[in-house]
Amino acid sequence: MLEDYHCNIENIRNFSIIAHIDHGKSTIADRLLEFTGTISEREKKDQILDDMDLEREKGITIKSKAVRLYYHSKDGKEYILNLIDTPGHVDFSYEVSRSLAACEGALLIVDASQGVQAQTIANINLALKSNLKIIPIINKIDLATANPDRVAKELQNISEIKDEEIILASAKEGIGTSDILEAIVNKIPSPKGSLNLPLRALIFDSVYNSYKGTIVYVRVVDGVITPGMIIQTMSNNIKYEVMEIGIFRPKMQPIKKLTAGEVGYIIAGFKNIKDTHVGDTIIDASNPSRESLPGYKKVTPLVFCSIYPIDNKEYENLKTALDKLKLNDSSLFSEAETSEALGFGFRCGFLGLLHMEIIQERLEREYDINLIATTPSVMYQVTKKNGEILKISNPVSFPPKNEIEKIEEPYVKVNIITPSKCIGGIMDLVQERRGSFKNMEYIDEEILRLDYHLPLNEIIIDFYDKLKSISSGYASLDYELIEYQSSELAKVDILVNHQLVDALSFIIHKDKAYTRARKIVEKLKGIIPRQMYEVPLQATIEGKIIARETIKALKKDVTAKCYGGDITRKRKLLEKQKAGKKRMKKIGKVEIPQEAFLGILKID
Amino acid sequence: MELGLYLHFPYCISKCPYCDFNSYQLKEDNQISPYISALYQEITAYSQKLKKSDIKTIYLGGGTPTILSGVQIYNILEFCKDKFTIDKNAEITIEANPRTLDGEKIKLLIESGINRLSLGAQSFDDLFLKKLGRLHNTQDIIDSYFLARKIGFSNINIDIMFALPGQTTEDFQATLKKAVSLKPDHLSLYNLTIKPGTEYYEKYKRNTLKLPSEDEEFDMYHRAINFLKKNNFEHYEIANFARPHKRSLHNQIYWQNQPYLGIGAGAYSFIRGYRYMNFKDPEKYIKEVINDKLPIEHGEKLSLRKRMIETIILGLRTKDGVSYKKYKTRFRINLNDIFSKQINKLVNLGLLKKDDCKIKLTNKGIFLANIVFREFVD
Repeated sequence: MLEDYHCNIENIRNFSIIAHIDHGKSTIADRLLEFTGTISEREKKDQILDDMDLEREKGITIKSKAVRLYYHSKDGKEYILNLIDTPGHVDFSYEVSRSLAACEGALLIVDASQGVQAQTIANINLALKSNLKIIPIINKIDLATANPDRVAKELQNISEIKDEEIILASAKEGIGTSDILEAIVNKIPSPKGSLNLPLRALIFDSVYNSYKGTIVYVRVVDGVITPGMIIQTMSNNIKYEVMEIGIFRPKMQPIKKLTAGEVGYIIAGFKNIKDTHVGDTIIDASNPSRESLPGYKKVTPLVFCSIYPIDNKEYENLKTALDKLKLNDSSLFSEAETSEALGFGFRCGFLGLLHMEIIQERLEREYDINLIATTPSVMYQVTKKNGEILKISNPVSFPPKNEIEKIEEPYVKVNIITPSKCIGGIMDLVQERRGSFKNMEYIDEEILRLDYHLPLNEIIIDFYDKLKSISSGYASLDYELIEYQSSELAKVDILVNHQLVDALSFIIHKDKAYTRARKIVEKLKGIIPRQMYEVPLQATIEGKIIARETIKALKKDVTAKCYGGDITRKRKLLEKQKAGKKRMKKIGKVEIPQEAFLGILKID
Repeated sequence: MELGLYLHFPYCISKCPYCDFNSYQLKEDNQISPYISALYQEITAYSQKLKKSDIKTIYLGGGTPTILSGVQIYNILEFCKDKFTIDKNAEITIEANPRTLDGEKIKLLIESGINRLSLGAQSFDDLFLKKLGRLHNTQDIIDSYFLARKIGFSNINIDIMFALPGQTTEDFQATLKKAVSLKPDHLSLYNLTIKPGTEYYEKYKRNTLKLPSEDEEFDMYHRAINFLKKNNFEHYEIANFARPHKRSLHNQIYWQNQPYLGIGAGAYSFIRGYRYMNFKDPEKYIKEVINDKLPIEHGEKLSLRKRMIETIILGLRTKDGVSYKKYKTRFRINLNDIFSKQINKLVNLGLLKKDDCKIKLTNKGIFLANIVFREFVD
């Protein structure tokens, strides 16, 4: 029976596929699965490894998975190939690095027309850090715009990759699949571990399933794991009995044991996904190995925002939904908070902007909750005059100015890959966002790599969109946190009809406060419908007004004619409008559409 | 049962760019007679069911009813008199466009029993008439008006539109003055509304239609109300003004949410709490009727609650407002027992007036009527 087929460790290959978004990672995976008969044409959906709708839509993979393929190589031997999928976005780079740590090799996919992108470089660096053998693949060679020669040169310029190593492929047309499989077998080293040593297994992912509880994905490094064994997680010394172990084909398939070098899953009555940290080492409780595997770190959120249900009655649903999402996403942070403007909601922390967007969309789509999400913020470090140090992610919690000694904000190192002709626009953008230039490198005659240091709070609001528009979509971006630096920051409050709307407060550099405040009140003027009376809009710093607009009173709202059948149509229209008003938030006497809270994020 | 009767004539010489009514440019003259035959058949179909009904008003609307010949109109009304019981003092109105009238036709209209004429003037400024795609000029309106008066119409309404693209308050004032100088018995003032499916809507979306601002619209309407009151017109419905005793009886049936029967393509009926619409497309309408079916496209039985709400919205459009007594008689429940929360809120906002026998819009409420109505709907 294949399910219990174990081969020599020399015949196991563990690998990931790494690529910039949309370069064809999932299609390559599909081809490998089909070629090895892991899944038939008939069974497959478009992209097998991405099982959430949202992932399919955004073209990215959120949660990594592992699939076992059986491959009969041209050398006549049977191999077990474990394909470990990785998230495709910078926000999840910790998860990527954990997945890579479970592998010996990586397929690096580069789009034949788009060429090297920021993520390509970030991925190569991650793979090299994990000592992986890289198999470079230029994909989509069937495209009319494909230029594999150029892309091959770019790859050689940014890394040690040699021309003859590069495989040309078109996952769409099925070109190159067999070459890739042969390269996996011949180029990627087999795992190094030993069956005879005490158990050590790396947790590289975990998911929560309401029937089976927490399922952890492991790479067994040394030893053997079997059902009934008592295991222990090294970071917190919690013990569990193994209930089930198995592999993915790509559906879950229980097996009798997992041995050194193999990849699979464990179900062991883990109560909480929080107890099963990605990066942690699982050992045999009765024969504990003393040496943990390298690299468990606690991931900390970088981007924060508040999430409120539009309808206060949905608070409980939101709470439940967030709890469910957290079961599967240990990097999502949330705690209850109250806003005068928005009522009961949650302060949430995310790995990055994309992570934030995904969570918001899942809450709205999968849990059907209409949300208001406030302007994203970062975690500031405020030192008070009395020496107290506060970590503050919510502008509402800022102490008054006279109590503050200094404020520090997080800076990131940003790596941008762009066509060289866009450099002027990018320089302007970075300058405008308080960035400082660090380095510039030519990847080839037309492609540049730029390094900058920027405050994180300058890139969490529409920086990426701007970069894309400046470069007609060609530039790509990657960033990592470097340090906290002291900054001249101010908190701007927004008052609607003289009433402070706490959810609209934001932190900004002093030099930019005035311009941004102006734009926000102008924007709000366009969004908030006219009321029966004049409504002043003000932006203030420490009570001092820095911008003001007035929404004029509504003078006329009356339908011209109403005869015969008009009334039923009219009534239905009024009902619809009324339902729309119910979705607005009432601040004092003023009804503010949800858009007002979202709209200020996108200000030119 | 007392009933209003509406007859729809969907054809026009040309389609105006702002118009979203159920009207179509007449392609060939021979389109009309099958339509008239269908009207006859639909009338016949209802005559048995509604034999005992007492028809208080008849309204011939369109489209352009006067695109028909005088004889055709005469015959239709004769047919109605034959099939229904029509009150001998019934108000019978016909809509007419200035260019579609001549002495002969007007005579026949009067002989048919039509006693009220509604002239689609829309403006007294040739520039705006042209922009609106109207086929007549100011002089045509004046000629038709006086001809109708001379031949014997003693009850004439003039339709005027305002807030036209490029129109200033002064422009509109000038039009209104000219209209009033003719001494019509009734005026309808309609704020131009941009409706999907019209040429104006397309222009509006492309941002090539320069419409007056909300403040300007307010000024036009506000000044018109004052001007007409000074000239002895009663502002008896949001868009309608009448000389003493010259209110439109037919339209009051709508605003009082009383029953009416609509005949013709796209016509609405409201009978026994059931509101329904005939097939809009004249060809479909004709086909249904020929196949001996009632040509109903869709309809709904209105729940008690919906009828109660619609009665309030319609009533509040009028100067008479909603009378407690009539409301109680009709629904066997006190208006204030059900809607006191809404009423009190609107009274506090200064949009609604409440006295011993009725509620009605305040002067401010007339301009913000939709806020008031929104309060009452569910």
